[in-house]
Formats: sequence, structure tokens, C-alpha cells
Amino acid sequence: MSVSRMQPATAAAVTLLLVLPALAQAPAPQPAPPAPANRPPAAAAPAQPAPATAPAQAGAAGAQPAAAQPAQAPKPAAAPGAQPAAAQPAAAQPAQAPKPATVPGAAPAAAQPGAQPQQQQQAGTEPPPKVDPKIFDEALKDYFDNKQEQAARKLYAFIESTPPTDENYSWAQYFLARCLIDLSLRHGGAVYLAKVAHERSNPQVLPKTLEALKVLTQVPHDEVLVDEQIFGSLDLGFLPDSVSDYANYQQGIVDLRVGNERWARTHFVKLEEEGVEASRAKFALLVTRLKNAKQVDDQMIDDFLDLSKDQKLTLEARNEARLAVARLRYEKKDYEGALKAYDMVQLPSLDPGRATLYLEEAWTRYNLGQLRATIGLLTTLDAPSFRDEFLPDKYILRALVYRDLCQYLPAKRAAKELTRRFSDSLEAIREREDLTQDFRLRRAANSHGSTKRAARFLESLNLEGEQLNRHAGGFGDRLYKHLQKVYDLSHAEAERIYQQRLRDAVREEADKLLRADEQVRLMEYEVGLKLYERVKRGAKLAQPEKEIQLTSAQIAFKFTGEYWNDELRSYRVSIPSRCIEEGAQ
Amino acid sequence: MKRTLLLLVCLAPVLAYAQGEELENPGTVLAVQDRTYRMVSELWIGIGVAPLDAFYKGLTGQVGYVYHFSDSFAWQVGRGLLSYNIKTGLRNQLETQFGVNPTAFPQLNWIVGSDVMWTPIYGKTSWLNSSVGHFEVFGLLGGSVVNERIAADVASGSGQTVFRPAVHLGLGARVFTSKSVSFRLDFSNDFVIYKGLESNILLVQLSLALNFGGTE
Repeated sequence: MSVSRMQPATAAAVTLLLVLPALAQAPAPQPAPPAPANRPPAAAAPAQPAPATAPAQAGAAGAQPAAAQPAQAPKPAAAPGAQPAAAQPAAAQPAQAPKPATVPGAAPAAAQPGAQPQQQQQAGTEPPPKVDPKIFDEALKDYFDNKQEQAARKLYAFIESTPPTDENYSWAQYFLARCLIDLSLRHGGAVYLAKVAHERSNPQVLPKTLEALKVLTQVPHDEVLVDEQIFGSLDLGFLPDSVSDYANYQQGIVDLRVGNERWARTHFVKLEEEGVEASRAKFALLVTRLKNAKQVDDQMIDDFLDLSKDQKLTLEARNEARLAVARLRYEKKDYEGALKAYDMVQLPSLDPGRATLYLEEAWTRYNLGQLRATIGLLTTLDAPSFRDEFLPDKYILRALVYRDLCQYLPAKRAAKELTRRFSDSLEAIREREDLTQDFRLRRAANSHGSTKRAARFLESLNLEGEQLNRHAGGFGDRLYKHLQKVYDLSHAEAERIYQQRLRDAVREEADKLLRADEQVRLMEYEVGLKLYERVKRGAKLAQPEKEIQLTSAQIAFKFTGEYWNDELRSYRVSIPSRCIEEGAQ
Repeated sequence: MKRTLLLLVCLAPVLAYAQGEELENPGTVLAVQDRTYRMVSELWIGIGVAPLDAFYKGLTGQVGYVYHFSDSFAWQVGRGLLSYNIKTGLRNQLETQFGVNPTAFPQLNWIVGSDVMWTPIYGKTSWLNSSVGHFEVFGLLGGSVVNERIAADVASGSGQTVFRPAVHLGLGARVFTSKSVSFRLDFSNDFVIYKGLESNILLVQLSLALNFGGTE
């Protein structure tokens, strides 16, 4: 009888811990950790769990992977939590925790067996089956044998039937996370890594957990869970060097986002000067300062320029810095300087680049009077790579160039192209429809900023949800159902955040479109007047501009509508001006 | 008069269409790029085959040096070829069954020569829509000195080594892999000039070319 009560109590505690990580933040008392030197090399076995086998074996087997050591011996006495449950009456469980009040998720649940069946009913789950603690070693063996599905199922069974105070509990969570990540269920893995990071019950697991979480931040991830709740709120004192910089950086970013630069600086000054995070922090600080600045000074441009040469930053970040330099110079009407900065932007081979880069460069060249080069860049923006880009400015600029070349028919047509292309969106705005349902506006909103990140995370959840179904058989019923719940909850929250951001973003895009539409109408009117302007007697066409001859080092490919990515920045347009000379009578 | 009018009426829409097209889509667009690969001093080494002769097949090794005056014109200053000849089945049969002396068969020993190179085609191509490769096609015209062993007297089986002039004509393509390394595939023919005994030496050759002094 006591056994059957004890198991539900443990299960309820584990369920609570899994569902509500916030309740499980107090670390449970830990036995002495095993010596790391006894573990396999990092390349073969990235983590170092406490084995169920006796540490005394390690002298001989230290060089062998953990997977090669299936558990034969029972757990040492140092791991009381992993002892067979049958030997432990439920009443004895709370007594093992020296400070029950500090373990609200686990100990009280175990102390109230009457409440457990109710919790399980709420959770809609059967009591977890009792498993042999050796299953942990079997799971590790499966993991290192690349049998992730089986390993995940066993680890989950171990987690369900083992109290959180067990020495291997955190390792089991960690390895379950690794299994899920290996199976492309990254969010599921992140949830378990987050649990380990929250609970901090085993100091040996924590560095590896944080490193794995840091890797996950490179792909679409739950920003609230990972960036804010883990890295944004970590106690930085105990962190290993490998992640302390990242955590400091992340906490500084969180401070910057809420507008507290001074607090952010207190984190950023702790960063190692030669590290990547220090460069990223400089970039973040500069961007924030730029956002708040009323006037741009040369120092800020120089700072961005220095940053653009910082090899520690990624190419994308360096390009961002170059773009920032170009934009700042453009704002200061230093168009030549802006062009130089645009030229500095380096694209990987055959990368089409970004539409905004070409459009901004086109505006710069237009302001320099390089009309044909401007049309060349606008030709680039018609490439299939950018066909779906939301660039209302493109049509205005094209109309302006044609107007300046007195090519009024093409100018009028370019202006009309905007209203033709975005007629549905403009109609939706005028009819005050739900703009999030407008295909073009939604795509524009999804293409950048926080909405893009939210959309990508939602998309990755959808993909991982499908991926999860493929593992239904391998995971077993309990783990599969549990992960389904995790994914359903996360999906609902991600959808909510995405919709919230989308609403704001589509509004901004709609404003942009309306402004462009207004300008286009003005342009149409102006061009219409010019089109029917009477030509004075004796008027003659302006002298054609001298064609730039090809040098011996250049080669020209005639453009026939086929876009090659390596040519996108190379289009040269030959177009005559139809303007009348001023001296005409 | 009527015919002229009819012609004008017929031509008018064509002219109007052309003018309308020019008004609506003015200008032409070129993709102007710096040449990615420019040759200056080229040293090449190649292996090939001389497949024409019925009595032997020559496996050839050849080296050469080319100086490129421009992107389209170059001088292949010198080239030298050595041929390692492999008997064909026919020759084996003649030697073993009909007792023909091995020295009675004419065969190529070596060739040296010099040519001008004209490269009218430079282009790029897409490989599986994932990468871009650059190539050029060139022609060669020059002269060679051919060293051959000929049968002086087939009946007695005696042979002798002779030098003969030849006109060298070739067509080749080059694929660039980097600024300094490219691969050449050459098809060439040496028209050996000798009164009454004109012959052809066809060569197919694959070469590795190293470019020195090319612009970065």
C-alpha cells in the first residue's frame, strides 16, 4: 500500500516540476558529485552523468565511453533517491529533504498523498510505472549508440519515477534534452534544458546545459524561455567562462530593451574585451544610442566604421555596421561617403543580398545624379529573389528617374505600377479590413524584426510538431503525450505573441504603403502635366550623355531578363534623355 | 503610286509599334562585370593521346609556356611534346605473324613548336544552379618541328629518324578554377609537310595551367 501511494506522489511531483518550472527552482540537497576525471572524453561523450556503476571501476574503465558500461551494480548509497521505490515508504520521502519548505514543487507534493490522484486526474495521466534505476544506464548506452528514441523513452520513464533529489535526475533531464535535440525536436530539448537551468540541482550539469542552450539560441527559439528566463536572469557568480560572457551580454541586452543603458553597461563591462560578445555589445550599445540620438555626430559614424572591421563579429553584423555607416552618411548628405560604405558591404558568393541594401544605394545614387546607375539598381530589385519584397519606394524612385530623364510615359507607368501591384492591400486599408489577413502586408511584416523572429519560431514549432508525430511509436505513449502537451502549450503562446507583433507590424507597413501611394498620385499628376506640355518651336533634345566605355578588364553580358546572382550589382543601363535643352525658344 | 501608298500603310503599324515600345521601355541593360579571371604568364603541363596511327597509339606528355598580351590574344612561346608509343594489335600481328621488323614502322618521337592563341569567347556557366563557372574557348595556329622515326626500307626493316616541319592548328577550352589555376582541353592537329608523304598527327590533351601575375 505504501509503495503504491509513494509512486503517485513522486509522479505528481515530477509532473508539477515539468509543467511548472517556476515551482522547482530551489535546488534539492545533493550527494557528493562523481569525479569528472572518471568520465569518457568529451568528443565521445559530451556529458558526464553520474554512473550507476561504482566509481571504483573507473580506474580501469575510465577511458571507455559510458555507453560501453551497462549498469551492472546497484547504485551506491550516496544516491538514496535512486534506490528502489519499494524500499521507501511514502512517508519517509519528505523526511529526506532537510528543508522541505524550500522545495515547494517536490516535497509538499510528496507529503500530501491524498492530493496526488487528483493532480494526476487533472493532468489526465496514469501513474508512472515503476522502473529499475538501471534504466538510466541503459538509456545512456542507447544514447551513445545513437538510439535516441529509445534513450528518450527510458530517460523519461526514469525522470517520472525518480525524485528530483536523485543524483542522476538532472543528468536524465539533460540527456533527454540532448536526445530530443538530436531528433530535431529542439524546442522540446530547450524546455528540458531550461528545467535543468532553473532547478540547478546538480552543479555539474549546469555548464553543459547552458552551453547547449547557447547553441540553441542560434536557431529560432523561445526567446522568453531561453533569453529572458534563463540567460536574462541567471545568477552570474557561478557561471563558467564559456557561458558567463554570453549571459552577461544577454542580461545587458534585456536591460537595453527596457531602456536602461546604465544597467546594461554594468553587464557589458564584465565582458572579456577580446570576446565576440564584447563586439556584439558594442554594436548593441551603438544601435541603442543611435535610436535615442537627436543628432548624428561623426564619432558615432567612426564607431560604426571601427565595428565594421571587427573580425570577431559575424559577416552579417559587420554588414549591419557598414549599412549603419552608409545610412548615417546619407542622413548627413555625404552621398559619396555613403556609396563607399555600401561598396564595403560584403556578400557571400552568389548571395543575392538584401533588397533594402540595393534600394538605399539606389536612393544615394539618385541624389548624386547618377540616374542610369539608379535604374540599374532598380533593375536588380526586379530580380526573382526580391519579387516578394515589400518595397513601395521602388516604384516612386523609378518614376522619379524616368521623370528626370523626361521619359514621361515610363514614369507614369512606373507610378501606376504601385497602385496596380498593391491594389488589394490598398483596398483592404481603405475598407478597414483586418490587415493581418492581407497577404502582402503580412508577408512584409513577417520579413523583419521581432515579428520575423516570432514567425520563424512558430514555423519551427509547427515543423517540430509534425516531426514529433513521426516519433510517436518510438517514444512510447507517455513521453509522446507529454511532449504533445509541451508543444501544444508552446504553440499557443507562440501564436499569441506572433499575432500581437503581427498586428503592430502590419499597421506600420500599411502606413508605409499609404505614404507611397500618396506620393505616387502626386507623381502621376506631375507627369501627366509634363506629358501634354507643348514643345516650343526650335526646341531640340539635350545632348546625349557620353556612354561609359568598357575597359579591357571588363566584360558585358547583355541582359535579356535572366537574372544571375553574381550580376545583381553590375547592371548598367543605357537610356537616352528626352529632355529639351534650356536654350530652346 | 498605289503600291507605294499600300506599302506605307502596311509599314506604318510596324513603325508605330517600334516607337511605342521604345517609348515605354526605353534603354538597354548590360551586366558589366570585371573579368574574374585574367591570364598573363601561363605555364602548362598536359597529358594526352595521339590516336590516329593504326600501328601505335601515342601517350604524350607536353609542357608549354604562353604569354598573354591581352584577354583575347596570346603567344604560345614554346611547347614540347614527348610521345610514348604503344603498339596496336595490328602491329603485333605484323611483327609476330608476318615477321616485319619492329623498326620498320614509322612513329612519332617528339614535337616542339610555337603558336599564336586567339581567345574570342569568354563566358560563364551555371552548375546545377548552385555555382558559377568561368570558361574560355581559344584557337591556336602555329608551326612545329616533328621528330619521327620512319621506315627507310620496309623490306629490310631499317628505319631512320627525321625532322619535319608541320603546321599546327588547334582548338581548346579552358575552365578556370581559381585566379592561378585552370584546366585546358586541347584538340590539335599537326599537318606534317613532306613532299608526297604528308601526314596528320592528331592530339587530344588535358592540361593543368598555372597562371602567374594575374590580377587579383
